[in-house]
Amino acid sequence: MAATPTPLEVRNIKKRFGDTEVLKGLSLEAQKGDVITLIGASGSGKSTFLRCMNLLEQPDDGDLIVHGEPIRFKTTKHGREPEDWKQVVRMRAKLSMVFQSFNLWAHMTLLENIIEAPIHVLKKPKKEALEHAHALLERVGLSARANAYPAQMSGGQQQRGAIARALAMDPEVMLFDEPTSALDPELVGDVLKVMHGLAEEGRTMVVVTHEMSFARDVSSQVIYLHQGLVEEAGPPSEVLGNPTSPRLKQFLAPKY
Amino acid sequence: MLDFSAWFNDLLAGNLIFTPTTLGYYWEGLVTTTQLVFLALLAGLILAVPLAIMRSSKHKWISLPVYLYTYVFRGTPLLIQLYIIYYGVVFVDGIQQTFLWPILREAFYPALIAFTLNTAAYTTEIFRGAIKATAQGEIEAARAYGMSPRLMMRRIILPSAFRRALPAYGNEVIFMLHASAIASVVTLMDLTGAARFVYARFYAPFEAFLFVAAIYLCLTFAILYFFRYLEKKLLAHLRPQTA
Repeated sequence: MAATPTPLEVRNIKKRFGDTEVLKGLSLEAQKGDVITLIGASGSGKSTFLRCMNLLEQPDDGDLIVHGEPIRFKTTKHGREPEDWKQVVRMRAKLSMVFQSFNLWAHMTLLENIIEAPIHVLKKPKKEALEHAHALLERVGLSARANAYPAQMSGGQQQRGAIARALAMDPEVMLFDEPTSALDPELVGDVLKVMHGLAEEGRTMVVVTHEMSFARDVSSQVIYLHQGLVEEAGPPSEVLGNPTSPRLKQFLAPKY
Repeated sequence: MLDFSAWFNDLLAGNLIFTPTTLGYYWEGLVTTTQLVFLALLAGLILAVPLAIMRSSKHKWISLPVYLYTYVFRGTPLLIQLYIIYYGVVFVDGIQQTFLWPILREAFYPALIAFTLNTAAYTTEIFRGAIKATAQGEIEAARAYGMSPRLMMRRIILPSAFRRALPAYGNEVIFMLHASAIASVVTLMDLTGAARFVYARFYAPFEAFLFVAAIYLCLTFAILYFFRYLEKKLLAHLRPQTA
């Protein structure tokens, strides 16, 4: 057994919505410090795959092992669901997610958003949570906006705030669901810069993205999904630099 | 220094209707109305929070009974509800022998019960709408950050729903104040009861009822300002920032 358990391992995840099978058996292993980017056309299942990793979607089949602890499932008449929701809650606290549409809690200030889960989920003392939060705000360049409400901030600021909220959990793995897709082009850079910094300090990240330059420069592994299956996977120099499948070639080709 | 009571007596001198005695009736009516409305709203609010949570449940056997309750109380006139409770309670077998009877015999408590049940039904539906309107993304974030359903309800859904419900609830409070006027038909000397008494005594409808209407207006203003203050404080997150 390894000295430190693998932060996140998913094996053979399958998921169907009605008659459509969107994930047809996907696996992924994130070692400490890995940055794995999931790319693919819309409808390829990359976001659904990511959402299965913290069980925002319930996979119909497959295993999920977080920090060496396998999640237990049971089969009910509604389908497959986790046996012990307490285990899921504990597991989710180790994986923090950054959403496409930020999803900050609108009735709280940015600072309150950041300390909310550390205090009420991780049971951290308030003083400690506040200190950590201020350090994180500094890091994402939002110290001046600590007492602003989400509606008063630009999209880029909200997303950097959401990253600070994710970091406040001291997560094993950070899951990014198209973090820059809802942003104006000039705001994308600020968010990517923050994510770049996280990768450099050795954070384990799984990122669904359309930012090919980010995938190329930052990730340790790129996975190209097509119709719920891995079409090509490997280091970015191979997958993006020298694609073999015609579909990936077309996906990467200039669109105009 | 101005002698207030002397000034007041001067003002009333030569006035046949607004004597210290009738003003005393109005004052007592004001106290009764305020107590009745305040207690009914308080109890209704306390009842409405768990009822709204149950009403929002996806389990039919939890939400359906609450739906039936709100449907019945919103679907029938408050006056009829008051009649049923006030006149009907006498016919409950053996109630006159219980310790409850001295309480229920008074008009105040049946009125309080009717008003509480009525406002709780409306408030439940106001809250339910606000709970349902919680942004799906915020719920998802709460789940993704390891919140249990209970914690999420307490920290995310309810605080956000209460804020959304505030303007509609302010309306409900004003509605309750005005609806309380019907308490006078079951012999309760509330504000309207006092006005009816003064009217009957002096046969002076304009003086008696315009005066009481002015008091209701003042109370409404107080409620409006209170809610305006609350909205300013609690809905700050919805306003764009003023530099």
